[in-house]
Amino acid sequence: MGERRDAWRHVSAQRRPAGRVRLLLLVVAITLVLPSAGLAQARVGAWVDAVIAVQEPTDAAAISRLEANDFQAWFSATSNPDLRDRVARNPALTSVASFGLQSELTFNPVGPVFPGTNRLNPFASPKIREAMNWLIDRRFIAQEIMRGMATPRYLPIDNAFPDFARLADVARKLEIQYAPNPDRAKAIISEEMGGLGATLVGGKWQFRGQPVTLTFLIRTEDERKQIGEYIAGLLESLGFTVERRLGSSAELSPLWSRGDPARGQWHLYTGGWLITAIVRDEAGNFDFFFTPRGLSGPLWQAYKPSPEFNRVSDRLARSDYSTLAERNRLFSQALELAMRDSARIWLVDRTSIWPRRAEVKVVADLAGGISGSLLWPYTIRYEGRTGGTVRIGVPNMLPEPWNPIGGSNFIFDTTLYRATQDYPTIVDPYTGLDLPQRVERAEVFVKQGLPVTKTLDWVSLQFVAEVRVPDDAIISWDPKAQRFITVKEKHPQGLTARAKAVVHFERDLFQKVQWHDGSRLSLGDVMLGWILTFDRAMEGSAIFDESAVPSFESFQQTFRGFRILSENPLVAELYSDAFTLDAEAIGAGAAGAFWPTYGFGPGPWHTVALGIRAEAAGEVAFTEDKAAKKKVERLNYIAGPTLAVLDRHLAAARAENFIPYASALSRYITPEEARTRWTFLTHWREGRGHFWVGMGPFLLQRVSPVEKVAELHRFSRFPDPSTKWVRFDEPMLAAVAASGPSTVRIGEEAAFEVRITFKGRPYPPREIDEVKFLLFDAKSALIASGQARQAGETWRVVLAPQATLRLVTGSNRLEVIVVSRLVSVPSFATVSFTTLPR
Amino acid sequence: MSDTLQMVSRRHRLPDTLVRVVSYSATRLVALFFTAVVGIFVTILVANMGGYVDEIKRAEIRETVTLQVFTDPKIMRLPAEARERRMREMIRIGEERLGLDRPFLSRSLFYLRDALVLRLGFAERMNSDSGSRLVRNIILERLPPTLLLFVSADLLLFFASMFMALSLARQYGSVLDRIVIALAPTSAAPAWFFGIFLILIFAAVLRWLPFGGMVDVPPPDRSVAYAASVLKHMVLPVGAIVFSTIFLAVYSWRTFFLIFSSEDYVEVARAKGLPTRVIERRYILRPTLPTIITGFALGLIGIWTGAVVLETVFNWPGLGQALFRAVGLYDIPVILGATIIYAYLLAITVFILDILYALVDPRVKLSREGRP
Repeated sequence: MGERRDAWRHVSAQRRPAGRVRLLLLVVAITLVLPSAGLAQARVGAWVDAVIAVQEPTDAAAISRLEANDFQAWFSATSNPDLRDRVARNPALTSVASFGLQSELTFNPVGPVFPGTNRLNPFASPKIREAMNWLIDRRFIAQEIMRGMATPRYLPIDNAFPDFARLADVARKLEIQYAPNPDRAKAIISEEMGGLGATLVGGKWQFRGQPVTLTFLIRTEDERKQIGEYIAGLLESLGFTVERRLGSSAELSPLWSRGDPARGQWHLYTGGWLITAIVRDEAGNFDFFFTPRGLSGPLWQAYKPSPEFNRVSDRLARSDYSTLAERNRLFSQALELAMRDSARIWLVDRTSIWPRRAEVKVVADLAGGISGSLLWPYTIRYEGRTGGTVRIGVPNMLPEPWNPIGGSNFIFDTTLYRATQDYPTIVDPYTGLDLPQRVERAEVFVKQGLPVTKTLDWVSLQFVAEVRVPDDAIISWDPKAQRFITVKEKHPQGLTARAKAVVHFERDLFQKVQWHDGSRLSLGDVMLGWILTFDRAMEGSAIFDESAVPSFESFQQTFRGFRILSENPLVAELYSDAFTLDAEAIGAGAAGAFWPTYGFGPGPWHTVALGIRAEAAGEVAFTEDKAAKKKVERLNYIAGPTLAVLDRHLAAARAENFIPYASALSRYITPEEARTRWTFLTHWREGRGHFWVGMGPFLLQRVSPVEKVAELHRFSRFPDPSTKWVRFDEPMLAAVAASGPSTVRIGEEAAFEVRITFKGRPYPPREIDEVKFLLFDAKSALIASGQARQAGETWRVVLAPQATLRLVTGSNRLEVIVVSRLVSVPSFATVSFTTLPR
Repeated sequence: MSDTLQMVSRRHRLPDTLVRVVSYSATRLVALFFTAVVGIFVTILVANMGGYVDEIKRAEIRETVTLQVFTDPKIMRLPAEARERRMREMIRIGEERLGLDRPFLSRSLFYLRDALVLRLGFAERMNSDSGSRLVRNIILERLPPTLLLFVSADLLLFFASMFMALSLARQYGSVLDRIVIALAPTSAAPAWFFGIFLILIFAAVLRWLPFGGMVDVPPPDRSVAYAASVLKHMVLPVGAIVFSTIFLAVYSWRTFFLIFSSEDYVEVARAKGLPTRVIERRYILRPTLPTIITGFALGLIGIWTGAVVLETVFNWPGLGQALFRAVGLYDIPVILGATIIYAYLLAITVFILDILYALVDPRVKLSREGRP
């Protein structure tokens, strides 16, 4: 190393005169270029100087305040069609859409006669449940009831997520197969009801001399009330007597969620599920929604899927497949079987809009909208200028204390404190794939036979015969002796894992990343996170928290060890039995394990240490459960009575130059670092009035809890340029148009042209993953399917003579499905043509 | 001899009066205390729906845990048995946190005991704005904004309506009197209803005043500027409260004064040629004082719970909103905390009013049996 340095000095000495000239030229060039280049390029971190969050509980008032420019963005969604129209009419406003809330219809599967009663439950019959798919017109719900603020949904996977795009052809086929057909529904239901022993008397179904009365639990908080009324009307038109029980979640959940379905207190329920982030693997949905393995509740235990469906669901849930093709086959099977089972049927995916002033730009997540987007703090700005203050409205804020270990998980609080934290990787808001932020690269090794794929270049993927965990890897913690336990100590016989990820963080990570109080990121921050992973869930610990045990047990089931390979630059590896379909997610998961952000916010070791001291002293608790159990206050780092407790511990920690878990962490935290941190934190507390120290593009400047105002100021020492994430400003949803001959002669080849565009310009072909087609005949039977071929800027679908030969004379339909690499939502186009005889 | 007799009689009367006052006060206090006990226990039973809220809470915990499981890929990827075990554990911890592991009846008695000794304890689900779980802090943090808004409005309303009512009573049948009578039915609409219109006119269209909230954003640092900002934010909500009530209040008081001004003793006073001001003060206001004081006092303690909808419309961080949230969350300690304080305030007010009646109205005397 010394020789190399000398050699470098030698070379640089020889080059000095030329170097001086170059330096001079560079200075002149910079002087000339800087004014014209604009300061935007030099700006780091957030685009705006400040974001001020204010509370506005009602969405109608929020729109009025946006119109009056009282605030510039509404960080909540509305599904109100009137408000959507109002936003659309006003040129000063704009909005972005997200898909997250799903409406479904849950059936009580017990029966056909409720035990100990004479009451018939028609929905015990899978055929009647399946027929409900034909009875209900989902398009009517989406267009008429929800006035366009929803899209019809048939399947137990989300229309906007990657699995749907991956299986779009199967999904489309099923959607067409289960399109509304009330006559068919009526015929099936009548036949089945007869089979169950019911009779139709004067247009009303009767069973054992009594009318067949269906108790319908209808939620009233949102459009599910109208949806329930609509479905109740349909059932009444078939001859059922429907008893509507309207109520809120609190009123109805004792009946459907906790009550025993065998008691017959209900037959149907208007259910709903909320997703706040793109889920890239929905294979577990079948097991969760249709089998007793899903949940332990009495309703789930009443599910009786067919043996075939049960087996397929189980295999998908356990990832019991070795290739993606095999997974797709199982998935296709499961989708068909789920429709036949129909223990619950999906109705619509609600569309929500997130309104804002037209001059404000911000990246929103396809599922979570703005408040669910990790990128909002990095991208929020005024179009065409930097700086300024953006006021944002949120429906509710600060209902719970903030602390990184067990603080508020309230969605709008999360949105705010996300602005104060940074990430090793960031989720692509439109595909759900992980992208590097503080990581240079990751090497992922998985056992051969696991269906893992990679899409992006920052991750390398290798399949290996065995992943052996090294003896010196850390696998546990001794809470009494306060030291890490290695694999060799715990598993002297050796240990293997299914996956290993080696994460290479940025080379200058510890030089460029700073906490908001001025402290530099250090390995102490990383290692304290690991200690807390174990310590809080271990009974011998001074900060043992019973509520941490369940998640720790889950973690332990798959965790196989970690190792720091290099301290600076930081290179670390993680061994696990857990894996995901995407190598990017495996790499991101490993990177996250070495990043000092906890479940509820950023956590530099020194602020977390204060909480640890206070909890160990029995004065406060990090989590709600422990606080309730110990009858103490829950730690709040931003306001309230626990600030005084933290103040006391800060003074003591500063006096002692305290290093938490000194026996383990003294190796990573020097006394000088500790001294600097306590000094910086004291100044921070005096200046800002709170203990919330993060490292994100914004710092928490001031909180006014009663007035419900939070002020976030730009962190001027954030390492990245402001421009880093603006490429995600808008989802590139493809617009598809298909055209071709209006008549096709049976047995002859036919070609159709597919144009894929975004905002009128051709969609980049390299960003298109697949262009599939499905050919349906006049009876909506699937005749052929395949892939379109690229032909310059357009794509061509060619129907071979063998395919057209299978058509009969009449009207046919060609469905084109486009799957993009940039957005997980597939796009569709339909073209109709008539077949003529040969 | 007669002086001696008078002194003996006075000496005899003083302890007698004292005994009667003390006995009356004690009886009233005991009666009021038992009323409060019954009221609180009924509140416990009602707030818990006779124990059914336990079922609701249990179901909510299950539903929350279900959603948590569904949205957490780490849990979803667990084997079915492990997932179920984890879920059961999460449910157990959740139930224990809300005290659902103890029977409802025993919890009710603990609630009652704690409430009576004003041991308000910890909330089950809510936090104060600054993040405290103590019911006392939840209430105390929200009380100042509520008091500020409603006491200001109430005082303004009380004195304005008194002044206008007396004035109208003098101008019975005038145009102004008829206008007030005509406008009295507007009070059928609640304050928040007027609030929406006021916001629409003065905030959305004219942009003179803020839409809501208690203070400018960001809150001013200097206290004078802060106070001015709060005053600006109070204009619309106070305006809505006053506007929604004033016409009916003026009409009622004016009718009340008119009835009293036709009493014989008022006519006699007029016949004696006493000035109008003296007649109003001595012969009309004095006998109506108990009613006025009662109305004012009960109006003031009625403020305690705030006004949910008005506070919501104006986004005013008051106690009404907090209590509404507590009811929605079935947070029994918070509901009880607010109720017990209200019950005690009401009892104390009634007790003080009893004494005040005796002081301000010479017609009120205690009988030998200790009854007024």
